[in-house]
Amino acid sequence: MPRSGPAWLRSARARGIGGALLAGGVLATVILAGGPGDAAGGTRTDADGLPHTAVEVSSSGCGRGWTHARSGTQVFELHNTSSAAAEVYLKSPRTGEVYGETEGIGPGTTRRLRVTLGRGAYVFMCLPDDADAVTGPTVRIGGGGRPGPAAAPLTQHDLIPPALEYQKWVAGGLDGLVGRTGTLRDALDRGDLAGAREAWLSAHLAYERLGAAYGTFGDADQKINGTGAGLPRGDRDPGFTGFHRIEYGLWHGAPAASLHAPAGALLATVRTLRDDWAQERMDPADLGLRAHEILENTVEFELTGRTDYGSGSNLATARANIDGTRAVLSRLHPLLVSRYPGLRKLDDDLDRTRRLLDGFRHGGRWTPPDRLDRARREQVNAVFGDLVERLASVATLCDARRTV
Amino acid sequence: MTGMDGVGRRGFLRGAALAGAGLAAGGTASAAAPPATGGPVTLPVPGLLPDSALPVPFHGTHQASVTAPPRRVTAFTAFDVTAENRRELADLLRTVTARARFLTGGGQPAPVGITGPPADSGLLGPQVPAGALSVTVGVGAALFDDRFGLHGRAPRRLTAMPSFPDDDLRPEWCHGDLSLQLCADDTDTVLHALRDLARHTRGGMQVRWRLDGFTSPPRPSGTPRNLLGFKDGTANPDAGSAREMDRLVWVGRGAGEPDWAVGGSYQVVRLIRMLVEFWDRVSLTEQERMFGRARETGAPLDGDAEHDIPHYPADPKGDVIPLDSHIRLANPRTADTAGQRLLRRAYNYDNGTDGNGNLDMGLLFCCYQQDLARQFETVQRRLAGEPLTDYIKPFGGGYFYALPGVREESDWFGRALLT
Repeated sequence: MPRSGPAWLRSARARGIGGALLAGGVLATVILAGGPGDAAGGTRTDADGLPHTAVEVSSSGCGRGWTHARSGTQVFELHNTSSAAAEVYLKSPRTGEVYGETEGIGPGTTRRLRVTLGRGAYVFMCLPDDADAVTGPTVRIGGGGRPGPAAAPLTQHDLIPPALEYQKWVAGGLDGLVGRTGTLRDALDRGDLAGAREAWLSAHLAYERLGAAYGTFGDADQKINGTGAGLPRGDRDPGFTGFHRIEYGLWHGAPAASLHAPAGALLATVRTLRDDWAQERMDPADLGLRAHEILENTVEFELTGRTDYGSGSNLATARANIDGTRAVLSRLHPLLVSRYPGLRKLDDDLDRTRRLLDGFRHGGRWTPPDRLDRARREQVNAVFGDLVERLASVATLCDARRTV
Repeated sequence: MTGMDGVGRRGFLRGAALAGAGLAAGGTASAAAPPATGGPVTLPVPGLLPDSALPVPFHGTHQASVTAPPRRVTAFTAFDVTAENRRELADLLRTVTARARFLTGGGQPAPVGITGPPADSGLLGPQVPAGALSVTVGVGAALFDDRFGLHGRAPRRLTAMPSFPDDDLRPEWCHGDLSLQLCADDTDTVLHALRDLARHTRGGMQVRWRLDGFTSPPRPSGTPRNLLGFKDGTANPDAGSAREMDRLVWVGRGAGEPDWAVGGSYQVVRLIRMLVEFWDRVSLTEQERMFGRARETGAPLDGDAEHDIPHYPADPKGDVIPLDSHIRLANPRTADTAGQRLLRRAYNYDNGTDGNGNLDMGLLFCCYQQDLARQFETVQRRLAGEPLTDYIKPFGGGYFYALPGVREESDWFGRALLT
C-alpha cells in the first residue's frame, strides 16, 4: 500500500497541533441508557439487521441525536451539518481510548461508522478541519457485553521524539552506506571482482537496513535500488542504475571497467542523500507506516526473488529488512506498550525470524529463496506473512490523530 | 487496546475470537443457527443443481458439505502446515473452525476501530451472508509424520496418493498436510472465504496448490456436463439416503479406523487435464463408445434417457456398451461391485492455457468413500488403460481424510485427533 505524496498533505491533523488548546466546548449533558432492545430516539434497524443511529457532526451539536444508547454492534450515521470537513472519534471520556473514527466527513454529507459497544461510557468528539475539537455529551450503556477493541490515539506531538531519534539513526546508517559504497567503487577501480562482490553485498545490506520502503528516500531510491521495472527498455534501459545494475554485472561476468560508471554514479547518489538528510524532515506520522511496510516490501520483492540480479542475496536483504523494522519499532516501543497487546510476541517473532534467516547463511553466501526446499520456503513465507499481518496494526495505531 | 484476547487468538492466528462477536451481534444469528445435531439431511436429487441451494449446516456428526449437492463454484486448496508443534497445530485448527463457522453462518464482521485494518475484506458488502458458503476440511498423510506427535494415528488407509499407470503427476500439484474446499454459488463468496481463512492463518499454514472449479448449468437439463461435453455424475449414489451414505461414504465404528476418525470420510482429489483440442477432433461415435453414453441425452447407449439403467447382462460382449467404456468399467453394476461405488463431487476447471497455447482445462475430480482400497483404488485399477486415457491427463491431487464434523460451538476440526 504505497502512500504517495508527502504525508503532511494527507490530512488536516497537523494543523491542530500548533494551537495548544484545551478541549473546546464540552456539552455536559449525561444520558443514562439501558441495554439493547429498547427502541427510541433516532435509532432504526436497517436492512443489515443493525441499529442505525443518526448523529450530528458540528461544533455546536456534536453527538446530537444519540439519545438512546445500546450495546452491541451498531452503525452511526454521522451527518456533518457544518460548513467544513470534519473528523469524528467515538471514545471513552475516562481513558480517551478511541473505539471508532471517521475521517474527512465533507460538509453536508453523511458517513457510516460501525462499532461494537458494551457496558461503559462513550462520547463523540467532533474535529472540524479549521476549528477546535468539541466533545459531545457522555452516553452511558448500563448493560451488554464487551465493547470492541479500542486504543488511545497518538498525536503528532507524541510521534515527534521517536521520529527525530529514528532520523538520527538513519543519518548514522547513511554514513556507513557511503563508506561501504566507496569500498565497492574502490574494489572495481582495482579490478578486484571478488572483493567487489563482497563489498556490493555489504553496501547493499547497509542500504536495505535503513528500511527504504515506499519512498522513504524519494526519487533517490529508484536511482540507488531500482529495478528495470517501469523503464522503457527494462533491464537494458540506461535509466537502470544503482545496486541492482551493478549486481547484474558482477554476477554475469561483466568486466570491472564496465562497472566503473555505475559505481561512481551510485556513490555520488548516496553521498548526496547523506548530505541532504540533515535537511529532511520526516513526517512523524510515517513512522508507523514504515514499521509495517518495510516487510511488505520484503514479501513482495525479496521472498519472491524479484529483485535478484544474480547475487542470490534476497534472504540477506530480508534479514537486513528485519533489522530495519526493529529500528523503527524500537523507537515506537514506549508508545505501543499500552496500545498494542501483541507487542512482546511481535518482538519475539522478529528475533526468531532473524535467527531463521541466519540459518540460510553459509560463510558469506546466502541460499536464494528458490533454492530453499519447499518446507523451508513455506516456513519463511509463513513467518513473514504472519509478521506483516500484525505489523499492519502498528501502522493503524501509530497514525497521527488530533486530540484537540 | 482492549477486547482483543479470547479463544484461539495466539501468535500466528489472528482474531478468531472476533468471529463469535460478529455473529452474535449480527442479527442474523437465528437464521444461521445450526441444529444441535447434524447428519445427513434430505437433499435434492444428486447431480442436479438446485435452483437455490440449501444452506449447509455447519455443525453435525459429519461435515455436511461432503454430501451436499455441488455448488456453482469451488476453490480447492491444499495447505502445508507451518505451525511448529502440536499446540500450534491445535490453535490453527481452532482458528480454521472459528472462521469457517463465521463464514458459513454469516454475520457482521467485528469492527476493530483504530486498532487495525478492517477485519473483513468487504468483498461481500458490510454483512457476510448466511448459508452462501460451505467449507470442507481434510487432513493428508503428511500431517501424521513426526512433526506433531501424530505418528501411528492416521486413518488406516491414508497414504500419499500413489501415481497410477495413466498419471503424469507434477509434484507442485500434489498432496498437502490439509485440504480445504470452499463451495458456493458465486465466485466472490469463495474468494472472500479463501482470503479470510488465509489471512487468519498465515503463520500456521501456507498454500501448497490451489485449483478453482465450476459446475456448469444443466444443458439443457439433467446432470451438468463436463468439458468433454458429456453429462458427468449421473450414476452417483443417493446422497440423500443416510443408509447409503453410511454404507459407502462415512467411516463408522468397528471399521478398524481410529476412534477419532469416526464420522469422517476418505477424500480423493484428482486434477485431470482434458486434452480438449484432441477430443474435439474425435468422431461422435468414438466419443460415445468411450463413455458408454450418448452425448446429447446422457442416456446409456442401451437406453433412451439419462437415468435409464444400463443392462450389461443383456450385452455380454459389449456390442452396444463396449466392455472398456468408462461407465461399464467404473461401475459394472453387479452385486460384487455395489460396495465399490463412491460419491463423486467433481467440478470442471479452467486454468488458462499451456506454453503451447493449448487450453488448460479439465476436471477437478473429487470423491468420497469409507474405504480407499475397496472403493477408489479398485475402480481406478479397473479403469487403467481405458480408451479415454488418451484424452485425459491426471497431473495432480491427493488423498485426504475429511475430518468428522464439528458437533457444536465448543467443538473444532480435529479435536478428537489432537486431544
